[in-house]
Amino acid sequence: MTLPKTVPRGSNRIKENDKRRIIDETQRKRRQRKVMEMLESDNYHDDPHADLVMSKKAPKFEDSLEQRNVRTKKKERTVDYYQFKYRKNFHQLVDEDRAESEAKQRPSYMDIQAEESQIPPRHFCAVCGFLGQYSCLSCGTRYCSLRCMETHMDTRCLKWAA
Amino acid sequence: MGDWEPKSGRTLKRRRSSGGSTKEVAPKPIKAPAFRALVVDNGAYTIKVGFTTEEEPQVVPNCIMKAKSEKKRLFVGKQIEECRDCSGLYFLLPCEKGYITRWEVQKPVWDHVFSRSVCTIDENPVVITQPLFNFKSIQDCMDEVFFEEYEVSSLFRCTPTDLAYLNYAKHNKLTKSDACLVMDSGFSFTHIVPYVRGSKFLRGVRRVNVGGKLLTNHLKDIISYRQYNVMEETYVINQVKEDTGYVCADVKKELAEASKPFGSNSIVKNYVLPDFNVIRRGYIQETKPENPSEVEESYQVLRLNNERFVVPEILFHPSDIGMKSMGIAEAVVKSIMSTPKEHRQSLAKNIIMVGGNCKFPGFKERMYAELRSLLPDAWQLGLFQHADPITYPWKGGSALLRTHDFRNNLVSKQDYEELGSTLIQERFNNFMLDSRQLDQEDETGKHSTEFQYLSKLKSASIFGKQEVSAADSDIQIDSKAVETAALDKEDVGAEEAGQDAEGNKRGKSRNKALEETEVAADVEAESSEEDLTESPSLFPLGCASYL
Repeated sequence: MTLPKTVPRGSNRIKENDKRRIIDETQRKRRQRKVMEMLESDNYHDDPHADLVMSKKAPKFEDSLEQRNVRTKKKERTVDYYQFKYRKNFHQLVDEDRAESEAKQRPSYMDIQAEESQIPPRHFCAVCGFLGQYSCLSCGTRYCSLRCMETHMDTRCLKWAA
Repeated sequence: MGDWEPKSGRTLKRRRSSGGSTKEVAPKPIKAPAFRALVVDNGAYTIKVGFTTEEEPQVVPNCIMKAKSEKKRLFVGKQIEECRDCSGLYFLLPCEKGYITRWEVQKPVWDHVFSRSVCTIDENPVVITQPLFNFKSIQDCMDEVFFEEYEVSSLFRCTPTDLAYLNYAKHNKLTKSDACLVMDSGFSFTHIVPYVRGSKFLRGVRRVNVGGKLLTNHLKDIISYRQYNVMEETYVINQVKEDTGYVCADVKKELAEASKPFGSNSIVKNYVLPDFNVIRRGYIQETKPENPSEVEESYQVLRLNNERFVVPEILFHPSDIGMKSMGIAEAVVKSIMSTPKEHRQSLAKNIIMVGGNCKFPGFKERMYAELRSLLPDAWQLGLFQHADPITYPWKGGSALLRTHDFRNNLVSKQDYEELGSTLIQERFNNFMLDSRQLDQEDETGKHSTEFQYLSKLKSASIFGKQEVSAADSDIQIDSKAVETAALDKEDVGAEEAGQDAEGNKRGKSRNKALEETEVAADVEAESSEEDLTESPSLFPLGCASYL
């Protein structure tokens, strides 16, 4: 008995891979940056008090009131004063620092950042956390087994592909 | 140690002349400084605050928190202890990547810290820490807040690594000739700062952008993916990290152990999450081997396996999460190797580890193993970690008061009004910093190559005679080199004349060190004498014509 010649031999899974959308290097980098931003963020959720309307009559910080009377009263400043006067975001600060360090011939904030490692990176399965030797065709995420791959495909793979 | 001798001699003399009555009074100024100071270690996550006369500082969270359950109030710093339900806490943090950017948060927290509920400011000096290379605009604001709003009588700013170094130097009676390396692994980042001859060696400073915050957020992310959605529970997951995390000796072995089934696996732990009703803080559940199925339904249990050690691993290998940066152990080695040769061994012998991340069990052992494998075998390696690495820098505050640099650089309110921010910031930023060091770096680089070249010639004795000293050979062979060298020497001499006795000593020891390197170069060259004839740098046209 012979197989019909019209159907080539081989795994169905591999054949289907051709149809899959593969995200390119720039998009992968963008994803990575998003992950890093998440790891730097203070909170994941929104401010639970955001919808509250604060009454202006409500006392704010009692302790600051009792403190003040010890000092001279002329220099009483609200929090907004400092926030307004020194409002600068992190990038502005880093840029200023670079200019200043060049003038003073000292290393700057960016200079002291550790360089890339000499040691090759290790790869952990994104699903279960053990060593993952395979990488996803679409997005490059690491996984260790078929089972983890399926979980990955069902959940995170192209979920946030922008 | 030598500094004390003339002083004690003086007191002895005084005793003789004035009689027995002053005997008890005389040793006092040596024992303790005359004044105390309020030391504020302003970390991005916690502020460590207290007077130098106290044993332990108070640790206050440096943030404002909002709870879901109590909509009427905010929790500033220590007030979080009054909060009943800490689930879904929302954090307002004053720092961004370790630098204060949100003054609307920092100011109320400081108001809280310096109020009666924690520690009030009095007429004593205030010492506050700031990260290395703190941005100018931030320093301006700090000056304004402390001098104009809090009206402190005098202020001093330095980095927490300075304090840790001083504390270590005091306890181990180190002199300025002993080099030290401080690794501060905190909430926002890890700084590695080498101290050479009592001052920071700026070219060797490294920063790894991995801190406690990143580890907690990563743990939050993987738990949310694998078990429960805990993305909003930063506060609780941070506790999980503190309670269960550890640094392993060998990841591959540990992973093999973690992959065993539940019964025979020594790593997997069940963590009982707090419900803020009965349980205030979560804990590791004791496993009972006789009936492992007996888990009370009312508790919410988190099962932690490889997460326990894979998360702290990021400190050593940031590439695990795709960061293009070396780990802290590698960065320590890089930092040591960027210093002048003669200090490297001393640096490896005195490594001080501070910061909250050092509290992971097994951290010190792992650090030792990594450094041991990366540094030369013949070097002695000494790691120091205090039992409480978080408050260790704060405790250096009392050591700071003893240094005379502190008294010279302390800025009073009057100084601030007369000199202005820019000048006083220079004082703070140049503390424990050899300002000549940066220029010297370039020079020594230039010279060392020249000297090596000369010493090679010298030892080869092609010219028929051995030179006695490097300076003599300078004159005969390379007049240009002599000119520059002589100029430099004059420069150094002029500077020394202007400096105090200490600076003088420093300059001399530097010269001595240079001579030592020359000697070393000599020895090296002599051992490889035969290769010299083939060296293209010495004989670009081949050596046949000379011989």
